[in-house]
Amino acid sequence: MTVADERTAEAAAGTEPPAEPSRYSLRHPKSRIAWIRPAVWAPLLVMLALLALLWQWGADELPYLLPPLGKIGTSLTAEFGYYVDNALVTLGEAAAGLGMGFAAAFVLAVLTSELPLLRRAVMPIAVVLNVTPLVAIAPALVVAFGFGPLPKLVIAALICFFPILINTAAGLRSVPRQVLQVYRTIDAGRVELLWYVRIPHALPFLFAALRIVLPLSIIGAVVAEMSASGSTRGLGTVISVASSMNQLPVVYASILVLAVMGVLLLLAVTLVERRVLHWHDSTHD
Amino acid sequence: MDGSVKVTGTPALDLRSVRRVYGFGPSATTALDDVHLSVPAGRFVSLIGPSGCGKSTLLRIAAGLEEPDHGTVRVHGVEPAEACAAKMIGLVPQSPALLPWLSVLRNVTLPHKINKGAARRRERIAGNAERAATGAPDMRELLVKAGLGEAMHKLPAQLSGGMRQRAAIVRAFGLRPDVLVMDEPFSALDEFTRESLQDQLLDLWDELETTVLFVTHSVSEAVRLSDTVVVMAPHPGRIVDTVEVDLERPRGDRLFGERRFHEYEDLIRDRLRRAWRSEAA
Ligand SMILES: Nc1ncnc2c1ncn2[C@@H]1O[C@H](COP(=O)(O)OP(=O)(O)OP(=O)(O)O)[C@@H](O)[C@H]1O
Ligand SMILES: [Mg+2]
Repeated sequence: MTVADERTAEAAAGTEPPAEPSRYSLRHPKSRIAWIRPAVWAPLLVMLALLALLWQWGADELPYLLPPLGKIGTSLTAEFGYYVDNALVTLGEAAAGLGMGFAAAFVLAVLTSELPLLRRAVMPIAVVLNVTPLVAIAPALVVAFGFGPLPKLVIAALICFFPILINTAAGLRSVPRQVLQVYRTIDAGRVELLWYVRIPHALPFLFAALRIVLPLSIIGAVVAEMSASGSTRGLGTVISVASSMNQLPVVYASILVLAVMGVLLLLAVTLVERRVLHWHDSTHD
Repeated sequence: MDGSVKVTGTPALDLRSVRRVYGFGPSATTALDDVHLSVPAGRFVSLIGPSGCGKSTLLRIAAGLEEPDHGTVRVHGVEPAEACAAKMIGLVPQSPALLPWLSVLRNVTLPHKINKGAARRRERIAGNAERAATGAPDMRELLVKAGLGEAMHKLPAQLSGGMRQRAAIVRAFGLRPDVLVMDEPFSALDEFTRESLQDQLLDLWDELETTVLFVTHSVSEAVRLSDTVVVMAPHPGRIVDTVEVDLERPRGDRLFGERRFHEYEDLIRDRLRRAWRSEAA
């Protein structure tokens, strides 16, 4: 074999893809069949087991902070209906608040995208309030609106309002200039442009905002429930009452239910997003 | 269409003493200075010149996307804004500018759903009634003609760059515009795709009879396509030369190998070089 032959052989070996596709499909994290492989799920399982051990050890050492896992499980199964009822109350408050916040923020975002003066007046304030921990006014809202559902709705709506406003406004303004030029040369009206071009362009931004805002709405509802000492329903109320009576298993069971609720909501948003945004890069990466 | 000039009253496009300055004071850029351009209906006119000589600015002004600081612009005798309101102008930008959530077919038919009052306005503009009355062409047919029959129901992201640009061209032609303005529509494509799109563009132009204002950086593209090549120079942006390309149509590969074709290319290159030199001086 001459030197030149060797070189071409090497080059051929180097350029040949070494069974790349099959390796790729197994490693690809989004691929569904990947979960068959232990290498994919085993690390998580081991980690969970380690955390459980650590928890049990903590429960022995610090009984006033951590209840044994078994007791949490017992409380959950024994009073499952109770947890579900209260979870639904909290969920209802969070969802209604989110709906109100969403509607108001969307309308204002459309208005600011159409009226530059309004945008210049509103958006700087929105940016500041977006980084302000608005949950902090929950106690004041309770004083103002009492122990009913109203302060919970208001706080959830308020927390959701600014991220949705900012994201939607950015989305409505994200239409590429050349697209706008095409529709300006046919003299598209404002409403036509909004309906056919701007709002669909804003949808990915809207879903991004929803992902941020869903957990926030639950936090808002829970904090409002906790601040209203006269409330009788909702997981926040359950948690604060149980804490004061030192019923740690109930506290943690409620937190677990809240976590599951958050995951399910996020999952629902993801499913809707896949359907609505099937054309968008983010849904098939 | 054999290059013979049609005799019509009002030019399709008429720019007089057009001036456009960006910015103020010492940092001001004169993008266009004292530009005169009159394009008879049905002509294919290319703008060529070095970067920054105001080609895109001229195009935007002609399409009513921007107002000149000085001078007048008329499209078939009316102001560009009025022409836009009557949907007389079609724009093909440098990028296809398709809406990513709509199929190709929906993308090219969307302009028909927008500004529906335009048809009546168009009829009222003098000498235009006949054209307006012919109505919108069958978009499916047009897509098939452009080689997008298979891709009609696909999303833009599922197409190649050349197919997307073709869709953008079909979208513009679908308006049956009186004036079609195109800003370097093929600059992002490879040479093969570019040449086949040039042919298709000429076919559509031939069939739908419209006036085209076409910006390009490529001398051979300008000669292949145009009746008239307008040479521009920068600082300030202006028209320095106008070359009539007197070659018969349809222009095929045989013509592109001939000397006459290359002589036009050389002529335009020479004018471009002179434009550069005059700037350096
Ligand atoms: N919106 C704007 N604001 C400020 N200056 C601008 C603007 N648009 C264009 N210019 C300036 O005007 C001049 C002409 O620009 P134009 O885009 O028309 O050139 P062009 O011939 O299309 O160049 P290219 O071949 O690179 O596309 C340039 O000097 C440019 O910097
Ligand atoms: Mg340009």
